[in-house]
Amino acid sequence: MNRAVTTASPSRGSADGNPMRKVAVRNLAAHKVRLVLTLVSVILGSAFVAGSFIFTDTLKSSFNSIFSTAYKGVDAQVSARHSYQPGVPADLVRTIQAVPGVQTVEPQVRGQIVLVDSKGKKVDSGGAPSDGSAWTPANQTIGEVPTFASGRAPLVAGEVAVNSGAATKAHLHVGDHVKIVLPNAAVADKTVSGIYKVKTDTGGFVGVKFTPAEARRLLTDGTHVSAIDVAATPGISEATITARIAHVLPSDLHAETGTKVRSDATQGITNALSFVNYILFAFGAIALIVGTFIIYNTFSMIVAQRLRELALLRAVGADRRQVRRSVVLEAGVVGLIGSVLGLAGGVGLAFGLHALLDALDIGLPAGSMVVSTRTVVVAVGVGTLVTLLSAYAPARRAGRIPPVAAMREEHAAPTTKALRRRSIAGVAVAAAGVAATVGGFSSSSAGSAAALTGLGLFAMAAGALLLSPLFARWVIDPLGRIVGRPFGSVGQLARTNAVRNTRRTAATAFALTLGMLLVSGIAVLGSTAKKSIGHLFDNNVTADYVVTTESDLEVPWPAAQAVAHVDGVASATQLQSFVAKVGSDAVDGSAASGPLSAVLKTDFVHGGGTPTGNNILIAKYWADDKHLSVGDPVTLSVPGLGSRTLRVSGIYKESRLLGPWVVSTDVYRALTPRNEWADDVVLVKAAPGTDLTALGKRLEAATNDYYVVNVDTREQFKGTIASQINGLLGLLYGLLGLSIVIAILGILNTLALSVVERRREIGTLRAIGMQRKQVRRTIYLESALIAVFGAGLGLLLGLTYGSLFTHALRDQGLDQLSVPWTQAVLFLVLAAVVGVLAALWPGIRAARTPPLEAIANG
Amino acid sequence: MNPAPALSPTMTSYAARAVDVDKSYGTGQTAVRALTSVSVDLARGEFTAIMGPSGSGKSTLMHCLAGLDSVTAGSVWIGEVELRGLSDKKMTALRRDRIGFVFQSFNLIPTLTAYENITLPMAIAGRRPDAAWLDTVIDTLGLRDRLTHRPSELSGGQQQRVAVGRALASKPEIIFGDEPTGNLDSRTSGEVMGILRESVDRLGQTVVIVTHDARAASYADRVLFLADGGIVDELRDPTADAVLDRMKGLER
Repeated sequence: MNRAVTTASPSRGSADGNPMRKVAVRNLAAHKVRLVLTLVSVILGSAFVAGSFIFTDTLKSSFNSIFSTAYKGVDAQVSARHSYQPGVPADLVRTIQAVPGVQTVEPQVRGQIVLVDSKGKKVDSGGAPSDGSAWTPANQTIGEVPTFASGRAPLVAGEVAVNSGAATKAHLHVGDHVKIVLPNAAVADKTVSGIYKVKTDTGGFVGVKFTPAEARRLLTDGTHVSAIDVAATPGISEATITARIAHVLPSDLHAETGTKVRSDATQGITNALSFVNYILFAFGAIALIVGTFIIYNTFSMIVAQRLRELALLRAVGADRRQVRRSVVLEAGVVGLIGSVLGLAGGVGLAFGLHALLDALDIGLPAGSMVVSTRTVVVAVGVGTLVTLLSAYAPARRAGRIPPVAAMREEHAAPTTKALRRRSIAGVAVAAAGVAATVGGFSSSSAGSAAALTGLGLFAMAAGALLLSPLFARWVIDPLGRIVGRPFGSVGQLARTNAVRNTRRTAATAFALTLGMLLVSGIAVLGSTAKKSIGHLFDNNVTADYVVTTESDLEVPWPAAQAVAHVDGVASATQLQSFVAKVGSDAVDGSAASGPLSAVLKTDFVHGGGTPTGNNILIAKYWADDKHLSVGDPVTLSVPGLGSRTLRVSGIYKESRLLGPWVVSTDVYRALTPRNEWADDVVLVKAAPGTDLTALGKRLEAATNDYYVVNVDTREQFKGTIASQINGLLGLLYGLLGLSIVIAILGILNTLALSVVERRREIGTLRAIGMQRKQVRRTIYLESALIAVFGAGLGLLLGLTYGSLFTHALRDQGLDQLSVPWTQAVLFLVLAAVVGVLAALWPGIRAARTPPLEAIANG
Repeated sequence: MNPAPALSPTMTSYAARAVDVDKSYGTGQTAVRALTSVSVDLARGEFTAIMGPSGSGKSTLMHCLAGLDSVTAGSVWIGEVELRGLSDKKMTALRRDRIGFVFQSFNLIPTLTAYENITLPMAIAGRRPDAAWLDTVIDTLGLRDRLTHRPSELSGGQQQRVAVGRALASKPEIIFGDEPTGNLDSRTSGEVMGILRESVDRLGQTVVIVTHDARAASYADRVLFLADGGIVDELRDPTADAVLDRMKGLER
């Protein structure tokens, strides 16, 4: 025990010569096993922090290189200011060509398509684009001309070139017949003339090249192109040429430098993927917060176990600061090693995540890992700092150990005075939490309600943490009496051990509390979302069948026509959504053709009518906002296409399905470029007396040729939405599972250390006749009690605050509270199982304690 | 002075017995022989003290007799049961049902009350304690008003009395004490030894203790002296002075 002191080397000054440093380092070596668990929690935390940085940096750099290639040689690009505009007038090409310094002008024609292979199977692009565009001959192209793996460029109408990535995936060869699904046209039959290669070929990307004439016919409205790329003559800068072009443009178009276009494109994709980053970051934070408790517990226990040794150091002349510093140093080494390993883990995590998303066909580009200095500094810094902070309180306690403790047999129990202070603070924080929560509950604005509820949750969680040593006694004692009864003295020992050091129990259980809080809160939100959407659908939609698509492409125009002609269809109402300017604001609205009242319940507060001719139906809140009443004129305009002045014929109660206003499909068509005409959804009402099952089959047969179209009954449609929500929940549960893993580590850690601490006691129990099996059971039961306590506290907070959040967001569509009680019970059972699992190894170790340990000294 | 309890015909006359016991730690060159060919019979209803200098093997002998440690050669019996070859499960059950322990540092379970500590072996076995016997034990120990206290609320002497109670409560075949007075002052030592003596005289218990305290040993009926892993001497009806004399002889 005192070898560290007696063997202190005589050399002075050097790092090895400092006896206190030596004590710290040698302790690390001596307590290897104990520290592994602490290390693991540091590693997990910093791995997630590093992983999120590396993942984003890598994506950013890959996309950067993709867009650099894609826009190679582009010095300026002319495009529409707003996405609701039809694009850039094609006749501007000549104007731009005339600008001095312009060398090449390349109009871009691009549109969403779905490629169907020769066997009639859709080629899924995952998250990557699925585009149709024009083939531009080399002399008209600014960037690199794609090379051909086989075949040649499309020369005549009816020929297409397909990128090699998609061709490989769909087993396409030159000469194969494919189909192209377009929103506004019927499905087009094409022949593959060639398979081309581009450097921008990312994960699932599908690129189909048409002849320029055909591209213009299929992908544009005949007068507009998507954008116009410009290359300047050598010697003229990007900025100069861009400024010159901007000068000749109408006000609703703008010119941007090639550099800006590239960086905007990269930024756009990175933003779209930022949710992955947020999730990873959140998990890094959770892992570190949960890790804090594990680290705190480990160091507290190590200090307690080394009490006599530390006191001895004090007795032989080490001062408080030296003792404290030796513990802090120990923590620093653990933190540093853990976070460096975590950094390595982060690389692995980013790599694994990339591989996973790739396997799921999300369509991410390949690229080498980018580990920036910032990543290294933040991950290692945060990991080390968190470890140091967590170990600081135990280190202070170590410093306060009086030298005389070296002579004492047992360490005095922690004072109850400190616990009282802690509890008083807990009550104060929790009271503030209740106040914020009440404020949030009664607040009418969703934003402030959610913010106050969030604040309340934060304070309540902090309060619960401070009060949990008290709760632990109040909850585990009675719970242990009930659960432990059938186990007799084993149950009693488990219960009394669980509440023996309530601070430690509380800190151990709190990891699970946090995890369970998040899981159950999200479960409430998910369950409420499902119920609310189902309710919304049931109360507002009276259609028998819902026709939608499963891809980004909307329901092709001819498909809706086909549906309307199916035998037994009383009405097929097509709904479109589009953006138009009202005054100076761009507003999302909808359009409908066919009878609205047959398929949607619309409650009018004023007027009525159908969206036909010059009628516009508007929502109550929008009418109030704009001071509109029945009979008033409303002008919708889309720059580049024109405007229509309509008359308010009815004001309906707020409808989440229709938005602020509804116009006729004629208006929609007038204000939307022809190539974009498509339906969001077609709602079908069956004629009275029609066999719905047979009708469904006929509808499917009628839309089968459009490949992307889905025909769902009411229940199927609700099921589809529910399964989308379930998918999202599944992802969150999967990630939250990590916090449970860390919680298991925490419990395992505490129990393993407790078993070491109670070696003599367990030896005594073995000596006076406790079977190994009984020793194991005692530990399992103790662990299960701690786990259920932690999970129960988290569940209570999670269910409460999940419900409160749905209340705050009731106007955002979460108006049907649904608490998943079955899941909650399942979570508790799971917690007990988790507890037993965590106790397996410590239990087995405890059971192996030889009875002679009862007599061993120390 | 030595009222032997009535023996039933099936019962052996000794409570524990060692025959030609060898015990060594380690193997080969570094092996240390702690016991060499030790044979001893511990008669029922007798109070035996084992003494010897440090390293004489006295603790090892007790550990082997009590089933806490295994022997290298020879055989050990508790009553009619030979310990060699018993599974851990059977050995544990044997310790639980037929052996009582009193340790130097009391070894009470800190989370249980005095009463719960006393009845723990029976609770572990899932048996109800014999209420009348338990009353006798508690009164003998003078713990009646301390039963709901936890060990941390008891003095050292009280704690050791609880430990003796735990050993007595299940009416074991034999009680082993490992330096039972080692952590007590001389007055409380006397109290605890008195209680052990009484348990032999009044309750017919068999008790074996290891001690280096001559005064404690003087409470025994018989003192065995060990040196260098073997029994070298024996004293009947000892006095403290006689024990001290023999010890001095051994340590020289």
